[in-house]
Amino acid sequence: MSQCRMSDYRTSEPGELVEHFFRHEFGRLVAVLTRSLGVRRLDLAEDVVQAALMRAMQTWSRRGVPEDPAGWLYRTARNLAIDALRRERTHAQALPRLAEDGERDSSPREAHFADEIGDEPLRLLFVCCHEAVPAESRVALALRTLCGFSTAEIARALLTTEVNVQKRITRARGRLRELDVDFDTPAAAQLGARLDAVLAVIYLLFSQGCHATHADVPIRRDLCDEARRLARMLATHPAGDVPAVHALLALMCFHAARFDARVAPGGAIVLLEEQDRSAWNWSDVQEGMAWLARSATGDELTRYHLEAGIAWEHCRAETFADTDWRRIAELYDTLDGIAPSPLHALNRAVAEAYLHGPQAGLDRLAAVATENVPARYPAWHAVIGELHFRLGRHCAAEHAWREALRLTTARADQAFLHRRLAVCRPEGS
Amino acid sequence: MAKFLFIYRESTEKKAKPSPEEMQALQGQWYGWMQKFNSAIMPGGDGLKHSGRVLKAGLVTDGPYVEAKEIIVSFAIIQADNYDDAVAIARECPPGHTLEIREFAGYA
Repeated sequence: MSQCRMSDYRTSEPGELVEHFFRHEFGRLVAVLTRSLGVRRLDLAEDVVQAALMRAMQTWSRRGVPEDPAGWLYRTARNLAIDALRRERTHAQALPRLAEDGERDSSPREAHFADEIGDEPLRLLFVCCHEAVPAESRVALALRTLCGFSTAEIARALLTTEVNVQKRITRARGRLRELDVDFDTPAAAQLGARLDAVLAVIYLLFSQGCHATHADVPIRRDLCDEARRLARMLATHPAGDVPAVHALLALMCFHAARFDARVAPGGAIVLLEEQDRSAWNWSDVQEGMAWLARSATGDELTRYHLEAGIAWEHCRAETFADTDWRRIAELYDTLDGIAPSPLHALNRAVAEAYLHGPQAGLDRLAAVATENVPARYPAWHAVIGELHFRLGRHCAAEHAWREALRLTTARADQAFLHRRLAVCRPEGS
Repeated sequence: MAKFLFIYRESTEKKAKPSPEEMQALQGQWYGWMQKFNSAIMPGGDGLKHSGRVLKAGLVTDGPYVEAKEIIVSFAIIQADNYDDAVAIARECPPGHTLEIREFAGYA
């Protein structure tokens, strides 16, 4: 199963490019060249790969795609790097390394290029998640160097400005340069130590994409796909072939399975309760189940295990009414113990409402809110509104939904709240 | 049948580099265009490198690009019955440039 995405690296037919080929090759080539050039020259690696892609675009437009497009790109990028270094002369020490790679490549084994270099992107992922890189820069840097997103695309994906993205990337590169991080060192021991940060970045990437509640829906979905791609890549490597990674993959697969059913044709959000379960992507569910089974080896219990368990409970229920809320409540309790968060408390209260009625859910929320008023979570108020509504208290529901509306910036969420308010108004006030 | 020179010009203004995703899309569009008008596109068209020399009044300078608002980036030779047909082919080119269409005079 972990091999299933190797096709990412290859064309399906000679002369035809797989989707996102340029983008993914960008990341892979930057990683490969960074091995020779050093992390200090990440920007040079990016420049020459960009130039190689440009050349490919122009040449392949006329002559069609060559039989080994990945090899073509690699040779072109490597030659451009050698030219650049010759011009600089100061970084001549990297030249022999690149030249060596060239010799190896002209051998008949060149066809196996894609398999041989599997480790470099993974190394670069760990470099991006170096503890010296500020946390908020890691995602931007990973999206740029590993996923081949442009600054504009990252800005759209992370709902921030291009200037901000550029700043984060520059800061990250600067930190890596200052520290002179060695590309080869995050081996074995360090890989393990930095795995938590890597998983956090991948999960953040996925979560950002999950909220497909913005005008640029395709870009956001791409984030989820990239997150899964990186995690699968991680799982194919001994250092990343561990239960926490398997659990994260399971979690992402279960969520991804529901994407299509979650958004109505007009872009409106469809609640879990109203989703057409036959529209769920069952191959995603199956992949998730396989990862979940693998995650159960060993005695490690991470937040990803618990979140995957919760997502699995939802996938497992044949109808919404079949949902095992008792089990979900338990899982949220454990999760909130390991990784306390108002959102976990909120979801725990939702489970409580399904178990013991809306008032029990409201009581739970009231108990939490006194210590930690999560004013900035629109979902908090949306849930309160829903529970009041179910109790027939339309006035209180309207009040809470208005508060949620005031806090949310996502268009689809706003549309959803407007629909709920419209239901509430005829009888309310 | 007449022959036309398609002269592609791009702005010299500094613009953001296309992202890998955009480049892949462009590559597909251009390849599609080349395939569709395969019989109209004559051999010899090509892209042009950005660096160049200009010979003017016996003086050789590097390309005139500093002052120029647009530079020629590529050209194609197209066979078509008339200007209308040539323009129709030009219209289907992927966007991103100014396209000048000139009929061959046929002196050669």
